[in-house]
Amino acid sequence: MRKQRRFSLLVLVVLVGVLLASALVSAETVTLTLGSWRVDDVEQVNRLLDAFHKSHPDIRIRFNPTNPPDYNAVLRTQLTGGTGPDLMYVRSFKVGQDLFAEGYLEPLTGLEGLEENFSVGSRAAWSLNDVPFAVPFMAVSHGIYYNVDLFKKHNLEIPQTWEELLQVAETLKAAGVIPFSNGSKDEWDMNEIVFMNLLPNFIGGREARLEYETGEVPFNDAKMVSAFKALQDIAPYLPPGQEGVSYYDAQQLFLLGRAAMFFGGSWDVAFFVSSEPDFEWSVFATPAPEGRPTVVTFHPDAGLGLNSASPHKEAGLKFLTWLTTVEAAQILADEIPGFYPLNQTSITLQDKHANDFYALHEGKDVDARFVWPELQSGDPDGYLLTQTAALAVVKGSMTPEEAADYLQEGLETWFTPTQKFKK
Amino acid sequence: MAQAKRRFRKDHWFFFTIPALVIYVWFMAFPLFNSMRMSFYQGTGLIPTQFVGLQNYVELFTNPLFRDRLLGALKNTCILFAICMGIQNTLGLLFANILAGRLKGRSVFRTIIFLPATMSVLVTGFLWKLILNPHWGAVNQILVRFGLKQFEGYPWLGKPETAMIMVGLVTAWQWVGIPTMIFLAGFQGISEDVLEAASIDGASALQIFWKVKLPLLTPVIGLVAVMTFVGNFNAFDIVFAMTNARGAPEYSTDIMGTLFYRIGIAGQHPVAQPNMGVGASIATVIFFILFLGVSMWMYFRERGSRVQ
Repeated sequence: MRKQRRFSLLVLVVLVGVLLASALVSAETVTLTLGSWRVDDVEQVNRLLDAFHKSHPDIRIRFNPTNPPDYNAVLRTQLTGGTGPDLMYVRSFKVGQDLFAEGYLEPLTGLEGLEENFSVGSRAAWSLNDVPFAVPFMAVSHGIYYNVDLFKKHNLEIPQTWEELLQVAETLKAAGVIPFSNGSKDEWDMNEIVFMNLLPNFIGGREARLEYETGEVPFNDAKMVSAFKALQDIAPYLPPGQEGVSYYDAQQLFLLGRAAMFFGGSWDVAFFVSSEPDFEWSVFATPAPEGRPTVVTFHPDAGLGLNSASPHKEAGLKFLTWLTTVEAAQILADEIPGFYPLNQTSITLQDKHANDFYALHEGKDVDARFVWPELQSGDPDGYLLTQTAALAVVKGSMTPEEAADYLQEGLETWFTPTQKFKK
Repeated sequence: MAQAKRRFRKDHWFFFTIPALVIYVWFMAFPLFNSMRMSFYQGTGLIPTQFVGLQNYVELFTNPLFRDRLLGALKNTCILFAICMGIQNTLGLLFANILAGRLKGRSVFRTIIFLPATMSVLVTGFLWKLILNPHWGAVNQILVRFGLKQFEGYPWLGKPETAMIMVGLVTAWQWVGIPTMIFLAGFQGISEDVLEAASIDGASALQIFWKVKLPLLTPVIGLVAVMTFVGNFNAFDIVFAMTNARGAPEYSTDIMGTLFYRIGIAGQHPVAQPNMGVGASIATVIFFILFLGVSMWMYFRERGSRVQ
């Protein structure tokens, strides 16, 4: 009996000791959570965080991602309820701006390294009225993947203009190869990675987009019509039964060597590399029509913001400052091929394909996906309008002119700058 | 005192229902009424807080953005219901009639017919998506093999004209086992005497089916119809698995379930900001449609049994 009591006393002492010790340790290091929608990159981001922990032993950051489609809603609920993560991935433009406007994100004016290391264009994606609210983190690029072996076999060269691209497609089709593998079963891909991929080549980059957004030109001007015309151009070169070809099918048609080209994004790189197709493949920039400069859709995707209600703001700001450094950008680039750091300092990527894709936009004008910056805050939103129009043009149920009119008329219902063109 | 005790004994059956009642109220009735309450609110986040009265319903029925989708979803759900009634339940009746007879290897057929119903909808959806694929799908390859060249690369799920029919047929294929089993039980419940009497009177097998079995089976048919009706108006998974939550292509497979999911839970890609209030009002509309359908069935059943 006595022995037992002594034993329990010992256990108690040990327990209290452990508790005290852990309390002391946690007083020294602060732990922050990092919310994200990138469930696929847990290991990679943890390695990035480890590098930060090495130089900042007093701060621990725990990566805690949510299922991508639920992220916006979950994050908002957490923030409203006061249980939001200290640091979080912030979507570019509208979604992020809404959170900032409601006061959930800390303004980052004057954050060390932010202005020096990031361009106006990439900072704008996470700013509202010139106040930055997140550090630009990752971007994705768009282009056309091609089967190098098939191009060699049919004596084809990388097309430099849109007209050449169509000739290449014609040659391939005549030889019994599917020119482009993309389809419209999943709907979003025809809009997001075909139409918005080629769009800036026909209307121009950021400057041109601003003309539409400020109401200088209507959304159904000749340039927009020519972009929809481009979709009509490629429609005959899509796989037979393209209405039933999903995004995944399109990737497979390309990987099986049955289609020679695939309109895609840099995020496909990792998947294509791991699929190890038995032919050589590479990417080229979606070419502009004769006489126009090639513009690449280089889309700012994720920023990193700080919760304005976080108890560890100081530690959070330290992390965000570290993120603006070249060191962080280099680690990110090495760890997550296909998602590019937005740091202005030129970096080299270890993955050859990711590097090839990255090189496409260097020295060229770039812009975000057309509807993201301004056209998503009303109903019907620009994304849905371009999607419906693009699908209809590819299918042949709308002419390019009708598609552009449809976009203009839809936006007229709520987008004030363009309402003066109302008929 | 003794009297009170007796009364307690007489009424104490009530206490046995309490556990079930608590579970039912907490997990079924309360969420149902809470969802109806939510349809009078607006706001962002998971719990809309701003009371707007009937505004969500006004939006739903007058704003063309919502109204067109609601009418489209209603139409498509009715198509789904028609296919399930016309094909799934008719086949179920036919199979049950065959299985109730003296067929060799009955249990083998019974297993085969019921097997799809045991599979996950996501699995069936995925399998049929592959089978109907324009490039590597079996359906088109078989059709082309039989000389129907026009079906080479035909996108069954990509054309608005055929997509909903395909989804309906897959649903029918998967669930045909359920009505078969219910009808089979119904057929087995018909007394041998009646059938024997009919055949002695000189009725043919067809006449027995139409004039004897079918009328006796009416209550079961009603039950199956109501089950199909409820199932179709709550369906979501098969469309989600085979096309997508937007009811691609061109909203031709958009049913009540996907419409509710898109507006109330997931939001539209890529902003993905759900509108809980309007979503809840759609859920309430679905509830009233189901309520109306089931009430009608119960009314006719009551009347039918009274006549008998």
